Parts: sequence; C-alpha cells; structure tokens
Amino acid sequence: MSAATGSAPPIAHRAATVAFDHVTKRYPGTGTERPGAVEDLSFEVPAGKICVLVGPSGCGKTTSLKMVNRLIEPTSGRILIDGQDAARRDVTELRRSIGYVIQQVGLFPHQTIGENVATVPRLLGWPEVRRHERSEELLALVGLDPSTYRDRYPAQLSGGERQRVGVARALAADPPVMLMDEPFGAVDPIVRERLQNEFLRLQADLAKTILFVTHDIDEAIKIGDLVAVMQVGGHLAQFGTPEEILANPASDFVARFVGADRGLKRLSLTRVDSLELRPAITARPGDDAAEARRRILADPFEFLLLVDAANRPIGWVGERQIPTSGVLAESMATSMSPLLDRRTTLKDALAMLIDAEVQAGIVIDRHGTLRGLVTAEDITAAARRDRSAAS
Amino acid sequence: MIRWDVIRGNLPLITSKIWEHLALTVVAVAVGLVLSFVVVIAIRDRRRFVGPVMGFFGFVYTIPSLALLALLVPFTRLSFLTSEIALVGYTLLILARNLLTGLDAVPRDVLEAADAMGYTRWRRLWQVELPLALPLIVAGIRIATVTTIGLVMVTALIGFGGLGQVMLRGYNFRNDTLVIVGFALTVALGVVADLGLSWLGRVVTPWSRARAAAG
Repeated sequence: MSAATGSAPPIAHRAATVAFDHVTKRYPGTGTERPGAVEDLSFEVPAGKICVLVGPSGCGKTTSLKMVNRLIEPTSGRILIDGQDAARRDVTELRRSIGYVIQQVGLFPHQTIGENVATVPRLLGWPEVRRHERSEELLALVGLDPSTYRDRYPAQLSGGERQRVGVARALAADPPVMLMDEPFGAVDPIVRERLQNEFLRLQADLAKTILFVTHDIDEAIKIGDLVAVMQVGGHLAQFGTPEEILANPASDFVARFVGADRGLKRLSLTRVDSLELRPAITARPGDDAAEARRRILADPFEFLLLVDAANRPIGWVGERQIPTSGVLAESMATSMSPLLDRRTTLKDALAMLIDAEVQAGIVIDRHGTLRGLVTAEDITAAARRDRSAAS
Repeated sequence: MIRWDVIRGNLPLITSKIWEHLALTVVAVAVGLVLSFVVVIAIRDRRRFVGPVMGFFGFVYTIPSLALLALLVPFTRLSFLTSEIALVGYTLLILARNLLTGLDAVPRDVLEAADAMGYTRWRRLWQVELPLALPLIVAGIRIATVTTIGLVMVTALIGFGGLGQVMLRGYNFRNDTLVIVGFALTVALGVVADLGLSWLGRVVTPWSRARAAAG
C-alpha cells in the first residue's frame, strides 16, 4: 500500500482510537517524583474525540503526548492506536501517520509556507501536483489565502498565522491522530480565543482523534470532549468529560486545580438554547399604547419589548415611557442589550446580564427573530439543577 | 615602474599561474570542506571529542606555513600533494568550527518538528540541518577561501604557488613589474572570490533575506 498511488483522500473522517495501557515512564535518578515522569497511565480516547491532558508543569502531560509518536519511549506499558501497539510499528511510518503541533510551531525557516505544509506528503513521496493541491487546500482550510501566503517564508508571518500553518502542516497527510502540545500558548489572549474557536469549527468537520496538552484549565474545559487531569508524579488524577470533572472533582487536588470558581466555569459548558426561555411581552410600532400599557402593568416584569413585523427585536420600552393614549412608536424604544445568540454560553450571558440595565437577555435565532428572554435567575437556577443532577 | 611589454611578454605565464592559483585554492577548500564535514558529523553527537578535535585543528592552524612545508617535503617531496596538505590543513579549523556552530544553531523546535513528522536521520541532516546551517557554512568558506588564496603564494617555494611564482620570478630577476602584477592579481583574486561567495551565499539562502525584509 502506498500513499503515492490513487487520488488524494478527502481531508475528513479518518480517526483512530488511542488507548494508554498501564503506561509508565521513569527517568534515571533517585527522586521519586521526577518532572516529566509518568506513572501507570491508563485511559482510552474514542475515535474522533478531543482529549485534553491538563495539569501543572512537570506532571508528565507532554511526556505522555510524546510517547504516542515515540519521540519518547515508555519504560513499560503499551499505547494502542486502533488496537495496534505503537511500539511494534516502524517509527518513521508511525510518525508520518500522526499530526504534531507544538507551541513554538517549528516551521522550517528555509522553506516557503507552501513547502512547509506539504512536508509529510513530500516524505511520503506524493507526486508534485498532488502535494501542491493539498497544500493549497489546507491553507484555505485554516483561513490563509493560498495566493497570498504560499510563497512567503515563516519569518514573514505573525505568530497567529504561523500557528495556523502549523495546524495545516499537521493535517497534510490526513492523519487519523493529532498531537497538540500547547498549540495556542504563545499567542496573545485575543488571537488564542480566535484560534481556539477556529480549531473547534475545523474539528467539527474533520473529527480527528486529538490529544491536546495544556496547563490552562479553562482551555481544557473549552476544547475537550474528555479531560485527563494529571498531577505531579505522572498520576492520572481524574478522567472524564469537562462536566463530570467540574461537577464532581475526584480529589482535593482536582478541586483545587479546576479552581474555586468551578460552578461558574460549568456555566461555560451550557448554552442559552438549552434553557427554557421566558416569553416576552411584545408589541409592534403602531399598536395601541393604552392596550400595551395594560398588558405590561399586569406582568411583574416592567419592560415591553418592541418588535418589527418579522418579530425581530427593536428595543425595550419601560412601562413609564408608554403613553396613556395614542400608538407606540419606534422612537420610544431604548437599547436592547443584552442581545444573546442561542449559542451564547450561560457564563457569557450571565456576565452580560450583570452589567445590563434591563435584567433580561433577549435571545434571538440565526435570522434575528425573537426566541424569548432569559434572566440571571434562570441561569443560576439551571446551574443548581445541573449540580444536583450530576451528583 | 610598470612595463607593459614585460606583461605582454609574460602573458601566457601569468594566465597559467592565475589558473594554477585558482586550482590550488579550490582543491584545498573543497577537500577541507569534505574532511571537516566528515569529522563534524562524526563528533557532533559525541561532544567529548569536540574539544580535542577543535584543539588539534587550532594547533595545525598555528604552525607557520613555511615550517609546515619544510616539515612535509622529506615525506611527500616537492609535490602538488605537499602543497595541498599544507593548504587543506589551514582550512580545517575555520570550516569545521563554522559547520559545527551552524549545525548547533538549528532551533530545537525545528528539529523536534522534523523528527515528529517522520524525517529519517540523514534526510533531516541534508534537508533541514545543512540548509539552515548554510549562512555560517558559507561564511566559513569565504574566510577559508580568502585565507587560502594568500597562503598559496607561500607554496611557490616548493615550485607551485600560482601567482606567487610570478612574484618570485620578478623578485629573482629584479623585475618590479612582475612583482607588482603578481601582488595585484592575488589581491584582486581574493576580493573577487570574497564578493562572489558572498553573493552566492545570499542566492542560496533566500529565506534569510525574507527575514531581514520582515524586520
């Protein structure tokens, strides 16, 4: 079998399970808790899932990652990729089938961006035309215009752009498994946030099996389908979904590591569309003011939401602003923030509500039409419900 | 002071000596490059040998050229080989040191990425490490070449020496023109070689200009 024959497989849906089976790595020396050591690590990542290895520095998370592509060989135990022992595979062939992204990116300074992306296809002996096609396709995939970037050198790119090229390069030969070691650690918070979002959007299409190392618990919760919390000495402190780890930390160490604000963090895992929304009292410009005033006075909530003919919110009208006679006009409406998309996380929604003048968030769908309202009380009530359901 | 008829009369000699000068230089630098490459590849992962080997090359470098030639003649006669042994000897320190420094300066993350993508050891050396070490390698070649062009003159004493022969002949026959021509052409050769190699170095490392442009 050779990658050099046949047409290029589409970049998608090739994933493998990765299982750690009692993996131990000891370094020579007397200390029992050497940094980077790993002790009896066992867990399994199903195909197509992102597993984040998170823990303080020296906990062995990077060592664990590097044992998958055998940059480091385990002292004992096995790592199985689709059931096959990695130690029994040819190391060069194994590495060419695993994507690898690191914080410093490690692009080749002497090669153009196009050549960098085509590295593994070149090693696999793909013909020139196909390498070029794949390179263009991947640059576009990570949001870099091929005609602009293809012939530049890494030194001419920003940190964020280099990191995208790193991801494109790792994906070039359509590897079933990707290893990522703090890939977004060296860029500023705004770029990191954007790269994380793009990465998640990409992964939704690609569905690779990804092992992702970070020391940042917030990143772990945001990125991971599964999270492996490791502690110094290379022990696995807890393995589970972000929800499970936040709701039920397995030990004091995990509880401290995820932080005292883990209740708040849990809110970042739930989105507004999972809540039961409150109906809003709405009216349209031109409606009878007195009638609208009667309806709002009958309700404990003192704001009327003005909407247009397509049921898109225009703005709030306070009950005191509603005239006793005549009709409602668009000019009566004040700002309608906070405006929430149904994909907004509860954490972001709560943050916006705390600052808002009107204590209700307006939830709209993709077309901008009104879905309902959400209040801070709704969010905290949902968080309490989650907690009792999880424990 | 300069007599053009002398130059015209000795033109065949001068031309052939320019070629001889170049040949002696190119062979010395090429052989020196191959030797230092082999040595550096052999010792770079055995760091305890680096000190002694570089120390030995440094020692060779300090031997006066005349003394070295005199030492070699009883073994290898007045031969091309004798000239080259001496000339190659002086290139080793510069070439080996620059090669080693260049290879050591390749960023760790680049090497790690290369390994992780499945480069074999040799392929990594040829396609990643040596290209990235090129600026320092070329710098070494420039210094070694210019130094060798100067040293070639000394081998005139054992019957070679390229333009050194022209100067020596001028000296023996009290002919100032030949002395000046030999001198001027040697200097010109050095300058041209230096500029040419510097240009070549820029051409083969387009990415370093890209870096400078990016600021």
